[in-house]
Amino acid sequence: MVVNNIDKLAEDLERQELETPTGIGSPQLYSQLLAIYLYQNDLCNAKFLWKRIPVSIKTSYPELGQIWTVGQHLWKSDFPATYKALNAVNWTETVDEIMKNVQIIVRSRAVDLISKAYTSITLETILVMTGLPADACLQACIEKGWRVEPDTKMIYPVRPALKPLAQPSSELFKLTDFVSFLEN
Amino acid sequence: MASALEQFVNSVRTLSNHGNLRELADVITKSSEVLTKNLQHLDNVLETLDVHQHSLGMLAVLIAKFSCPNVSLPDNRFVQAREFILNCNVDQVRSAPDLFAEFSHLFTNYLVEQKTAIKGIHLLKLAIIRLKYLSENQLTSVHADLCQLCLLAKCFKPALEILDVDIVSICQENIHTNPNIPHFDAKYFLLYYYYGGKIYLALRNLDRALYFFEAALTTPAHAVSHIMLEAHKKFILVSLLLLGKVQQLPKYCSKVVVRFIKPLSQPYNDLAQAFTNNSFTELNNIITKHAEVFNRDHNMGLVKQVSSVLYKKNIQRLTKTFLTLSLTDVASRVGLPGPADAEKHILSMIENGQIYATINQKDGMVVFSDEPDKYSGPDVLKTLEDELSLCMEFNNRILLMDEEIQVNPQYVKKTAGLQEEEQPSKSSFAM
Repeated sequence: MVVNNIDKLAEDLERQELETPTGIGSPQLYSQLLAIYLYQNDLCNAKFLWKRIPVSIKTSYPELGQIWTVGQHLWKSDFPATYKALNAVNWTETVDEIMKNVQIIVRSRAVDLISKAYTSITLETILVMTGLPADACLQACIEKGWRVEPDTKMIYPVRPALKPLAQPSSELFKLTDFVSFLEN
Repeated sequence: MASALEQFVNSVRTLSNHGNLRELADVITKSSEVLTKNLQHLDNVLETLDVHQHSLGMLAVLIAKFSCPNVSLPDNRFVQAREFILNCNVDQVRSAPDLFAEFSHLFTNYLVEQKTAIKGIHLLKLAIIRLKYLSENQLTSVHADLCQLCLLAKCFKPALEILDVDIVSICQENIHTNPNIPHFDAKYFLLYYYYGGKIYLALRNLDRALYFFEAALTTPAHAVSHIMLEAHKKFILVSLLLLGKVQQLPKYCSKVVVRFIKPLSQPYNDLAQAFTNNSFTELNNIITKHAEVFNRDHNMGLVKQVSSVLYKKNIQRLTKTFLTLSLTDVASRVGLPGPADAEKHILSMIENGQIYATINQKDGMVVFSDEPDKYSGPDVLKTLEDELSLCMEFNNRILLMDEEIQVNPQYVKKTAGLQEEEQPSKSSFAM
């Protein structure tokens, strides 16, 4: 699975781009790297990658443009347009898996945002932000423990709890360091 | 092969073998004329030298090759430069930082002219790492070259590894132009911070960008530098974007900044004034009035971002007055067209952690809350830890510098002299 190693893959691709003898990478390299930046929500680097891809490659390889369309919608946080752009294209094998995961991760970011920003939200807004069909969406809300008011179609999201402290022993070690520094 | 060249090769070989690097550097500086005159034979010279054993000799030949305006085909300079950076002898090259800096500038210019800036990025980065400038946190003019290439290639990620390191010392590069006072060309210092600031700005790391522009601005100076002027303009804009007001310049800023640079960036001061008044009409008037200046400075994009940030700033101000507010009220108070736009702005601000609020779509209300963090989360602890270790490192650094000064012969002489005149010596630093 590509996604597990995506950071490693990104590093590889970045290095390849810098080390090509002509200074110009292959269309596959550019499209994979662009898709990965979207996956990492690294829109700045995606934008500049798009800017530095030579025009000749952009015209002869339209998929690059289609990937970047997704990026532009993400930049404006326009959720409906993002999902539309993601699903409008049959991605080639080079980027298919990454683009599918872009959709998953955009959706999960949207869900996080909903639970952080809303105390009550209409089903309609959730549908727009997640791009899911109504029944699947309702199901998912109930699974997350969000209260659904059936007659008004209002949903009450729950804030995620904070994660607990990790590894207390190493914390203690650091604390002794700090104290000994402050005492001297 | 001409005899002068033969002599050059011979002295490079013997001096390299004896490890007499200082003398070798002298020979090299003196023979630059010989090299440039015999361009057609330089490839032969390169063949007789070993990249590892005679690094300085090769460096001199490469400089001669790169500084020559017209080259006979085929142009093999890039390959040779690449070979050199990958395999050169680190100790030899470090002994002559001025030569390497010159090579780096010529190489950079060459790539810029060829419009293949991207090809040089990993080589210069590798050079900075290989020559241990990165691990020693030392600034060289190669840093500025690398940033320039990154900006031209629109490829910023590779530079971050270099830029993220805080510089603690500066390589004294210009030892041979004036052997008594080794120094570093201020131009490259300013360029490094200006370019670095631009890179951070492009990647939306505004904090760091502001710091870099400030570093460029607070460089001690007796005359106005154009780089400082541009840095000041960007400093104002970034400061508005990040803080919502213009950050005060530190007191150690040179007088020229206050006296000349501030008046020279008047349109930007006007803009900042309008922004701090929170007035849209005023801000837009200023933007239209000075549009030409902003466009000429290539700052129009930033100026537009400043104007869109004013909405966010005004929403932030609302949180200070109200606990709950309807979306319609938010929209009318900050001058947005409708409640939907207000919701969109608030949503993106919540996502970026700029305000703490929750939206209640049922009643169309926003509830502004105080910072929800109870200062007990692991994130807070982590930030605290990071800051503390930074402080500890900083303290150690100062102690080291203090020690260095205390044992400096000139300092000792001066303080001893003072004591003879029965004046108490004052330590500049006491903890």
